[in-house]
Amino acid sequence: MELFQIFGIIPYFCNVDTYNLGKVKRTEGRHAPEMSKQTGFPSPATHYLEAPIDLNKELVYHQDATFFIRINGNSYKEYNVFDKDVLIVDRSLKFYGNRLALIIAAGEFDIKAYKDVSAENEILVWGIITYIIHNTL
Amino acid sequence: MIAMVDCNSFYASCEQVFRPDLFGKPVVVLSNNDGCIIAANKEAKDLAHIPMFEPVFKIKKQLQENNVTFFSSNYTLYGEMSQRVMNILSTFSPQTEVYSIDEAFVELKGMDYVDLVEYGFEMKNKIKYWTGLPVGVGIAPTKVLAKLANKISKKEKEHDHVFVIDSDDKRIASLKWAKTKDIWGLGKKHVKKLEKIGVATAYEFTQLSVAWVRKEMTVVGERLWRELRGERCLDFTTMPKPKKAIGTAKSFGSKLESLGLIEEACAYYISEVTEVLRAQKSCANYVQVFLHTNYHSDIDKQYSNSCTVTLQIATNDTFTLITEARKALRSIYKPGYRYKKVGVCLSGIIPQDYVQGNLFVNINNNKNELMRIFDVLNMKFGKSVISSAMLGTNKKDWELIKNDRSSFYTTQWKELLEIGQ
Repeated sequence: MELFQIFGIIPYFCNVDTYNLGKVKRTEGRHAPEMSKQTGFPSPATHYLEAPIDLNKELVYHQDATFFIRINGNSYKEYNVFDKDVLIVDRSLKFYGNRLALIIAAGEFDIKAYKDVSAENEILVWGIITYIIHNTL
Repeated sequence: MIAMVDCNSFYASCEQVFRPDLFGKPVVVLSNNDGCIIAANKEAKDLAHIPMFEPVFKIKKQLQENNVTFFSSNYTLYGEMSQRVMNILSTFSPQTEVYSIDEAFVELKGMDYVDLVEYGFEMKNKIKYWTGLPVGVGIAPTKVLAKLANKISKKEKEHDHVFVIDSDDKRIASLKWAKTKDIWGLGKKHVKKLEKIGVATAYEFTQLSVAWVRKEMTVVGERLWRELRGERCLDFTTMPKPKKAIGTAKSFGSKLESLGLIEEACAYYISEVTEVLRAQKSCANYVQVFLHTNYHSDIDKQYSNSCTVTLQIATNDTFTLITEARKALRSIYKPGYRYKKVGVCLSGIIPQDYVQGNLFVNINNNKNELMRIFDVLNMKFGKSVISSAMLGTNKKDWELIKNDRSSFYTTQWKELLEIGQ
């Protein structure tokens, strides 16, 4: 049963318990294609099934420290950040190397690469940009 | 040992995380309906001449003159930020007890060889770094002492928001520092009683005889007395207790006369509280509805009333409860008044598995299934995606005024923080 659920074939608010009885019963409100456990040829994929990719798991390293932020305008072009892009910002990471950060300078948000930060200007790092989501449509 | 962690000016701090232009500036948060100030940050509190809990319309000018930024309350944001803080705390100990939206106890068992001051700073710094929210940490052998340590950590600057009571000397010094009103859980009545017999500090309180404390202040007072002496009496409860009564009442955005709109608001509140009821797997025996006009108004005629309905069978079914609440509302509604508030309260709450049947009523089990699907759909596709038609479509006519609400930065894709230009 779990396998069906993982694939989302059966909406999970359907009464899935009937499948556990061993007999295949039709349940009302099931909008999924017919699929039976008992008859026919077992799926060759049976032992190879995995959960589909979850972007939250892949792109968000520390959920409790991660915020999404939308860009308005093209003033950050130099860092390949464009209008309407969404940044994934992780506050738990350190700022060094090639990293790009969302910073605060003079009470305003800004984006800076580590190499572009000079010691004279006082800045506050708000979080590290881990991904830039860009819609190409 | 137990750590008590709480966020400093939580609501205002949440707002400031997303508004760097307001760092170090006075910020206040208004109650539902923008009625009065319910939270203020340190900078706002320092403007001592601004009275807290005053109706906002009276002091709006004062706020503006002092460049105080005000926000309508955004509980969606505060709740989500709170969840982050609690999650981070749970990385420090397997046992945490969420005490309120901005406070939690953290059990630090078996940490005899850990430097607790350092551990406290680690908690404080991690939360600040990860979420942007400032917290204070008090660590002590009992809950009541931990709460006191937390208070000291904030009031005495040199501790920098982390204070540990780990020796008897420190405990006694802390007790001498604390006035009786600083003791967590000690009511005003008892503070007065202690004052009468010349007890002003927590230390003096702990020097009273246990017999006197028990006699005059019951077992509750005795527990505090023991906790302050370093003896654990209050349990560590990791699961929230099921609620005995669940209610909600909010003022309307504007005064309402029409029964139709009041009924819609009432149905809306019922659907909110029944959701809570189902989440904790309980049913209610009674539903109370109350209705009143604006007490503060000099020009309006005043009226208020309430009605409690005993249900035939305890239930958590939204439709049944809406029907009953509506009957109750109709029985107390009188035309010709300008109403300010309607409220509902469910009580007589019992676990849903213990519902007593009724010889003359059929229990309809299909309804449970319907309600379950209701909850699943609303959870999956957003609040009120499916609801009773009684909720109507005129929500904006009675809804709370939240003119200055910040965005749902962390829960709504359309309301993300925007930067640039």
